[in-house]
Formats: sequence, structure tokens, C-alpha cells
Amino acid sequence: GVAPLGRQPLNKEHLYHLAMLDSSYHHLPHPSDSERLRHYLPRNPCPTAAYYPQLAPPGADTLDFFQRLSTETLFFIFYYMEGTKAQYLAAKALKKQSWRFHTKYMMWFQRHEEPKKITEEYEQGTYIYFDYEKWGQRKKEGFTFEYRFLEDRD
Amino acid sequence: DRAPSGPTSMMQSGISQAREFDDPPGLHEKTEFLLREWVNMYHSPAAGRDSTKAFSMFVGQMHQQGILKTDDLITRFFRLSTEMCVDLCYRALNEQTHSPTLIRAKCFHTLDAFVRLISLLVKHSGDSTNSVTKINLLNKVLGIVAGVLLQDHEVRNTEFQQLPYHRIFIMLFIELNAPEQVLDGINFQILTAFCNTFHILRPRKAPGFAYAWLELISHRVFIGRMLAITPQQRGWGMYAQLLIDLIKFLSPFLRNADLTKAAQLLYKGTLRVLLVLLHDFPEFLCDYHYLFCDVIPPNCIQMRNLILSAFPRNMRLPDPFTPNLKVDMLSDITHPPRIVTNFTNMIQPASFKKDLDSYLKSRAPVTFLSDLRSNLQVSNEPGTRYSIPLINALVLYVGTQAITYIHSKGQTPSMSTIAHSSHMDIFQNLAVDLDTEGRYLFLNAIANQLRYPNSHTHYFSCTLLYLFAEANTEAIQEQITRVLLERLIVNRPHPWGLLITFIELIKNPSFNFWNHEFVHCAPEIHKLFESVARSCTVAQP
Repeated sequence: GVAPLGRQPLNKEHLYHLAMLDSSYHHLPHPSDSERLRHYLPRNPCPTAAYYPQLAPPGADTLDFFQRLSTETLFFIFYYMEGTKAQYLAAKALKKQSWRFHTKYMMWFQRHEEPKKITEEYEQGTYIYFDYEKWGQRKKEGFTFEYRFLEDRD
Repeated sequence: DRAPSGPTSMMQSGISQAREFDDPPGLHEKTEFLLREWVNMYHSPAAGRDSTKAFSMFVGQMHQQGILKTDDLITRFFRLSTEMCVDLCYRALNEQTHSPTLIRAKCFHTLDAFVRLISLLVKHSGDSTNSVTKINLLNKVLGIVAGVLLQDHEVRNTEFQQLPYHRIFIMLFIELNAPEQVLDGINFQILTAFCNTFHILRPRKAPGFAYAWLELISHRVFIGRMLAITPQQRGWGMYAQLLIDLIKFLSPFLRNADLTKAAQLLYKGTLRVLLVLLHDFPEFLCDYHYLFCDVIPPNCIQMRNLILSAFPRNMRLPDPFTPNLKVDMLSDITHPPRIVTNFTNMIQPASFKKDLDSYLKSRAPVTFLSDLRSNLQVSNEPGTRYSIPLINALVLYVGTQAITYIHSKGQTPSMSTIAHSSHMDIFQNLAVDLDTEGRYLFLNAIANQLRYPNSHTHYFSCTLLYLFAEANTEAIQEQITRVLLERLIVNRPHPWGLLITFIELIKNPSFNFWNHEFVHCAPEIHKLFESVARSCTVAQP
């Protein structure tokens, strides 16, 4: 039935192939082997119960989805998932919420009020920023945001 | 634009140089020193974007150490570096105390740096417009890595680890396919170099590398480049070759329907790749279906159905279950499908092809028919008596010749126009004269053409039904039914032409299908037919 032409005994070469395949079965490629190194969140596959979600919800890789995440989540993605599409989408979502990235301090700033002063080169006023070391939002009064440190000026 | 045998000879020399060990004194130490330096520079914050700053400094160091003096020294440097990276991975993988994540991070730390060094050296070799130097260097390095792999595979045997090579190849591939002007112009040569490397390392040559190999050829960036981005489908032929390499490796195990756990996993992966291709690149499977069917063992019904179910995306297939569907009214059935394989050349020896052509033309001598069987037979061993590729080529060739002939008479293929010709003589003779094994292969060769609406599907559908109607024994009819049925009782997908043919067979009273003994030979077979008939919405008598 399943082998209509009958079984064909395996020759020496086939048996060698099988032996090599069987031994490599014990150290299969890992999903991380063909990905860029993730410093903070390495892949760590483990069996999870079937009644837990096994897949991310559909559309989880769209800007729409990222805009629905909390700012803290976006900051987490931005700092802990470097060089990924998720980081790119998180940055986009933050910008849509009027956060601006400061390339010298490597932190995100948002105006707390209309700047006291705006010139060609900088603006000055009170800002909310996200401190990635203390992991929280802080307020800074009388801060000068120099435009040359503004990422993606447009 | 490709110098004949240029890049290939670079790769071959790379492979053979991987087996040389007569290094000049001190080179090992120098390489070790330089590699360590580079790994540190690569990871330092001052390396610059894409390590460009670090690289210009490092090239100075390579000069100082005299590595860049001759091609031979550069080659040796790459070989020794590859070996050092690999050794480091083996040491890390053998450390039981560390967590798997840590072990991998350790391996990647060095491998990624080495990959960046290769890609920068390739990009910057020769001046910016000199593509020959870059491609030659790439082929050389790929050859060296492949050579070190084959050597390692042979020496370490079942202790062989695929990780370092897998990482080097995929990361290098991604780096060299980045959107950069210097790489864009040589993209096709880069793809060719990787395809040649993967072909050299095919599972039959390096079975211990098979899983990583499958990951490489099914990587989304690789499939995207080979099948979607490269213009004029120039990557399709090379990609088809790699799939054939994979199927050929699996075929002795699949044929016996006896797979170890390890082989099952590789088979499952193969099916997944085929599913992706069926969904995203159906035209690719359409164009190369012939080659794949030549290597897929006859009993691998589902694998073959995946390939035969592919149809061009712009086509809308009429539902085969539509009552009174008039197949001969469909405009698509007048168009031949595209077949990129030169199956005519597969009819060997040349004298047989000559006799065949002369018979098709003159319908003589009759001895041609009586000799057919012996021409197809290659051994006396049951199970391997016939040349499957020759049967496949003969069937398709005779069929296409018949279609041309019918058209030349101003007619279209139908149950009446296909009859009484030299072409049908051959098919009827094969049906009657071959033994069970040969007939099974012959009927399978016909069934392989039952695909989406096209002139081959239509012609071979008529042919199969004609052979059923005109059969002089029930054995032939039973075997035709078997070949159709066994392709339908497996899980989806089912080729359109296959369904059309089977529905016609059980629906059209002229075939007298339900009165055959084999339909009722056993209660479970009878039930099976009933359920198939029900799913085909045919009222059975």
C-alpha cells in the first residue's frame, strides 16, 4: 500500500546519511542561529501550555498596533530590542505622540508646555523625558533642546 | 558578464585549499592575533557604523603583519580564521556548565565579527567598480568555508556541529544582500556564489549539515532574493536545483515509507517549504513541476499534489463540482502550460528517439511497439525495473506531439479526436503490454499532467478516460482507478485536472464505472467509493 514499488533495502551510503542525520538531530539549529544577536532578550524557547496564546495577535507588527501600546512599553521596546522592526515601529509611534529623540542624551523628550523661547537653533522650556537608567518619566525645567541633537529633523 | 569557470574555479580552489596544512611558520599565531584584535575592534563602541572605522584601522594591521602580500597568504588567513572560529564554537558547545543562551552568545560574538570582516573585505577588494575581484574573493572564501565544513564533517563524523557554518553562511548572505550600491550591481553573482556553495554542501554530500542547509535555503531573505526580487526569474533554475537536491536526499527513505524521527523532521520541513512556495510562488512550482515529479518517489502522493496543485495566480479555476461543467468550453484548455525542462532530451538513447519519431510519423513498423517495453526497462529487479524519468519523458513527449498533430488537422483534442493515431497506439500498447509495475509508473506519468486548465491537462484527461473505456481487461481499469483514487484520498490540496478526470469517470454512464467488480471487491473499498462520490456530489446508482 504505502510503498507500492516494494521496499528497497538501504545501501551503505543511505545508512551513513541516516546516521549523520540522526546525530545532528540532537543539536538542531536554534531559531537564534540565523538572527542578529539579541543582547537583552535572547530567544529562550520552552514548552508552554496549549491554552496560552502561542502566537502574537494578528497585526501585531503594524504601526496601528504600536500606537495602542503604553509609552512605557514603547520605551522598553526602543531600548531593549535594538535594530529590529519593532524598535523602528516603537520610535514611529512615540513620534506620533510628540516625543522627540535627543541624540546626545539618547533619551526621549516631550514638551510639558509651550517652550518659553524658540530660536532657529534651539528651544527652551519645561520637558518630560524618559530616563532609561532610573526607568521612569522625569520633568526638567528650563531645559534647552538644541535642534542639532534632534533626530530625524523634518 | 560571468567569466566562464572563473568564479567556480575560485570556489574549487578554495575547497581544495581547505585541506592544506603546510602553513609558513608563524602564520597561525599572526592569524590568531589578528582575529582576536578584529573581534575586539568589532565590538568596541568606536567601531563606527557598520564597523567602517575599525576596518580601516584593521586593514593597516593586516598590512603590517604581511597578510595582504599575496593571494596565497590571504587564503590561508581565511582558512585559519574559519578553523579558529569553528574550534571556538566546539569548545563553547562542549562546556556543560553554561546556559545554552550564553554558549550561543559566545559563539556569535566571534562568528559575527568574522562575518563582518569577510563582507568588508569583499566590498572593499579592488576599486569600487571592479566587480570581478570582489566576486572572486567571495567565491574563494565561500569555497574555503565549504572546504573546512566538509573536512570537519568527515573527521568529526557524528560529533559534527552545524552551528558555526550555518551562522557564517546566513549572516554573510544577509550582509551581502543589504541595500548598498556596491552590492546591488553584483547581486546576481552573489546569489550564484551562494547557490553553488549550497549545492556543493547538499544533504547527500554533508548529511550532518542537512537541517541547517534546509534553514539556509528556506530563509525568507534567500527565498525572496531567489524567487521574487531578482528580475526575469533568473534565480528560479538555481533554486529548483536546490529543492531537487533536497528531494533526492529524502527519496530512498520516503520510498520505503519508513522514516526515522530525524528524517521525519526533515520531511516535515520540506513540506512546509513547499507550502510556502505554493502560496507565494505558484508559478515557480508550475514551471518546474516536471523536474520535481521526476525525483519525487511514486508513493509520495501529498508532496506531489502540493506541486501539481500550483496554478498561475491570474487564473480563476472553475469549481470542479459545478454540475454540467463543460471542460472543453474553457478557453484556458487551448493554451499549453510553460515547461522549462527540456524533456525531449531525456528520451535516450538517440536511436530510440529516432525510432519513436519515425513511428509517430508513419505509424510503422509495428515492431516499435513490441520493443517499447524493453526500451523502458533498465533492470530485472522488482521495484526498480523501469527508468521513471524515461517513462515520464516519453509520455509527455508523445502527448505534446499528439496535441500538435490534432491541431494541425484543424481539430481540438477530445475523446474522439485523440483516438486512432500513432500516439494513441503507443499509449494503448503501454497500457496493455507493461506489467503492473510498469503500468503503474506509466499511469502516474499521465496523472502528473492533470493540473490546472491547460492543453496538457485536457489532453491527458481525455487520454486516461479513453484508456479506461477501451481497456481490454479489468486490471487496467482497476489500476487507472487506483492511481486517481490514491491521489484523492490524501489531504488537500488536490490538483484541479485530477478532480475533473475522476468526477467524469464516476459520473459519465458511458464508463460503466459502478458495475466493475473492483469497486465492490471489499466492503471498505465500496464505502470509500461511496464517500468519494458523495464528496464529489455525484448521485451513485
